[in-house]
Amino acid sequence: MPYIAELEKAGIPTVLIDLEDQQNMVRQEALAQGVPNIRFIHASRTLFGEADVDRLISPVLDGLTRPLTEKEKESGMWQPPWGRVLFEGTLDEAEDFYQKTEWVPHPVNAPIAVYSDGLPVRIPTEERVREMLKGTSHKPDELITAQSDRLSGRGEIKKGDPIRFQPMNWTATVEKVAINAVMAGCKPEQLPVVLAIAESGCPIESTHSLGQWICVSGPIAKEIGMSSGCGMMGPGNPANMAIGRTHPIMSRNLGGAIIGVNRMPSISSPFAHGSCCAENADGLPPGWKGLNEESGYKKDESVVMIQIVPKGIRGVQHSPGGYRALQKSGHGGMARRLNVKGKPGPHNWLEYALPEFWAATEGPLNIIMIPEMAHHLYEYGFKSKDAVYEWLWKKSFMTLENYRKLSWVDFTTNGWLGIEPISGKHWKELPDDYMVPAAGPNSSGFCIIVGGGDEEVSQQMSGGRRPNDSNIYSIDAWR
Amino acid sequence: MVDKVKCLNPIGIGMPVKTYPLAPRLEKIDGKEIWLSITGEPDITIPLEKRLKNDYPKVNWKVKRKYDLDPIPLTDEEMKTADGLIQAVCW
Repeated sequence: MPYIAELEKAGIPTVLIDLEDQQNMVRQEALAQGVPNIRFIHASRTLFGEADVDRLISPVLDGLTRPLTEKEKESGMWQPPWGRVLFEGTLDEAEDFYQKTEWVPHPVNAPIAVYSDGLPVRIPTEERVREMLKGTSHKPDELITAQSDRLSGRGEIKKGDPIRFQPMNWTATVEKVAINAVMAGCKPEQLPVVLAIAESGCPIESTHSLGQWICVSGPIAKEIGMSSGCGMMGPGNPANMAIGRTHPIMSRNLGGAIIGVNRMPSISSPFAHGSCCAENADGLPPGWKGLNEESGYKKDESVVMIQIVPKGIRGVQHSPGGYRALQKSGHGGMARRLNVKGKPGPHNWLEYALPEFWAATEGPLNIIMIPEMAHHLYEYGFKSKDAVYEWLWKKSFMTLENYRKLSWVDFTTNGWLGIEPISGKHWKELPDDYMVPAAGPNSSGFCIIVGGGDEEVSQQMSGGRRPNDSNIYSIDAWR
Repeated sequence: MVDKVKCLNPIGIGMPVKTYPLAPRLEKIDGKEIWLSITGEPDITIPLEKRLKNDYPKVNWKVKRKYDLDPIPLTDEEMKTADGLIQAVCW
């Protein structure tokens, strides 16, 4: 949309073809970019392409030639109305007010919360917000800005740049974040983590993406009572739950993201509720770095990772009992697949899960594993996380013939018009038996987090780290 | 008497946005340089490109082709001579 806005402002008439259910999103983004009356035509999600073109070709050309209406000729200023105090009344009345919903028509056809994630919130009274602000040394009226230079998917961000919350491109102050933290049920000592999450701009999932995973690394996790143990990504721990919940609430309030209007995750997932956990640094094998150290911070520094989970999640691929049988005595189905029948461990259990990793889609993975399973990998011979990443990457190679059969590669290869990064050749010039690393051009996209309970399970999520999009934020910068 | 409370506003701060009129439309398309900026959805964009070129041969059609979401922008030089642009398909 910024591009279309730029052309219109430069005097070049445009017409946009978009899918019908994206209409509200186009309107909202057009307004945020200063061209609220942009002309767009709906494409069909289901109609055969030639039939759809029959239908839309005349309206498209009409969009370029039909004279402007008086409304389309208008210029002016737009500012969303806001004041510091939103509501005055009793606490009961306030509870009703903050639970307000609005009806969102197709593709939702249901009420959507106006100020929250849909659940009741803790009412952000002036007193509660004042108390919350004691959790940081930053002033209430300070704008949320980047605390360090970094790369983002939208370009380079310099230290001090104001953070724009998408999709409405709004900004926020420390007090605004504290208000949202109160609403999510946070305690003042958790505010620095919430401010670091706010520094991410609270990215939201697109039409297909599943949501966000938030992981805290460093000493603050223990200080504020976060869980990195059994059930760490599920219900029960107030710190994990409240901190995680700030993401969808801030997306709604600071970014203006409305499900079905300008936030269009077709199905969405539990991750979009703000799944948050801490890393178990004590559970790391010797020589394995925590997320903070892997990201260039020190062991005693605290960071938060906000990881978009764009594709899917895989759970346990084996029975925990089967896993124990593999490692203790080399029995059961896992041992049969790994061809180590009767041989006690340690065995590389990742080998068992490998066939599933790139069966349906490409890309690096985030892998959460319990400490015992990390220690088995260490004893097997992986003396660092990097060694595991390298092994995984090498195992991801598949023939171009098979690689072409995955869905996302059309997207990442620019419809095969681009250059294959390792050979430097055009994709279309490569033979069918050319070996392609399905995990990406190198091993840097993988991310291992150690945490969870004692039962032998691992969970893998698509996404991984992106070299051109830092998703790690210092918490200490916001203390 | 029930105590009243002041509750603060959680909504982000929208900087004022200057809004602009749309660019003037074309009186006719014949003889004009119109760009088709393709961003994926080949099921639509391939027949669209074919139809535009076949049905409107007097237009100087130009194409920027990409598979993913972000269009390839016109260069400053191209913007000097561009008369219009069709963006297809945003998704």
